[in-house]
Amino acid sequence: MTCVRPLLLLVAVVILTGGCAFVRGTYGEEVKPLDLSSIKKGTTTRAEVATFLGAPERIVEVNDHEIFQYYHFDMKSGLLLFFSRTNVISEDVFVFFDKNGIVEDIVVGKKKPVPEMQFWPFGE
Amino acid sequence: MRFLVRPFALCLLIASLTSCGPVIWQRLTLNQPITKDEVAFIHEGQTYLSEVAQELGAPDEILNLKNRLVARYHFSDTRYFRINFGWGLRFFIPYYTPDLVLSGGGSGTDVFDVACDSHLVVQETSFAFHKSSSRFNFWPWD
Repeated sequence: MTCVRPLLLLVAVVILTGGCAFVRGTYGEEVKPLDLSSIKKGTTTRAEVATFLGAPERIVEVNDHEIFQYYHFDMKSGLLLFFSRTNVISEDVFVFFDKNGIVEDIVVGKKKPVPEMQFWPFGE
Repeated sequence: MRFLVRPFALCLLIASLTSCGPVIWQRLTLNQPITKDEVAFIHEGQTYLSEVAQELGAPDEILNLKNRLVARYHFSDTRYFRINFGWGLRFFIPYYTPDLVLSGGGSGTDVFDVACDSHLVVQETSFAFHKSSSRFNFWPWD
């Protein structure tokens, strides 16, 4: 009977650790600064952009200007016992073309912070 | 056998409270909130969209709106709470475990809009705050 307490402790540990999960996921290819450096405003064509960055996830047309949108999502999710939190950060790249299909502007932001691995759902 | 009952009851309590069990608080956030101080550098009629992106990151969405475009930044916050009062019955009725679930949650999205002209110069900015609708709801009949 002396092994009952350690056994119960083991059962409790197994149950508690069974309630944990840590997940990391991404969606879309991250556009590297090196890929963007090969795109020159006023000279690079639509086809060349597609060669450097791949086909865009979305094409928007605004005032006869085409915009290529490239998605990138980074996700971290933590689950501990009965608390779960999932943080997602999006980082998109927009390439604007003029009426002749030449790159007019590139909208790419500064690198956003990597999402935090958290499980506590309360607070900010 | 009495000395076994208390640890076993404790184990049952722990098991019934773990996430594979009846109670869970969940939260999902998309991006970081943007404050008014962070957008103070924007001067309408002067600042370019690319300069805004340098400070705030690229927008999440660009919309076509008549003769101008609107770049949108989103911060979404979703909270969800669930409790299943029938979960513990599986220890007593292994073949059929009825669920008695109370759950509720809310989702809200703060949006920062940047309207630009055809030269990508910022013309207007605006905030829409809806994050307060994100909350844990225990009682679904409110």
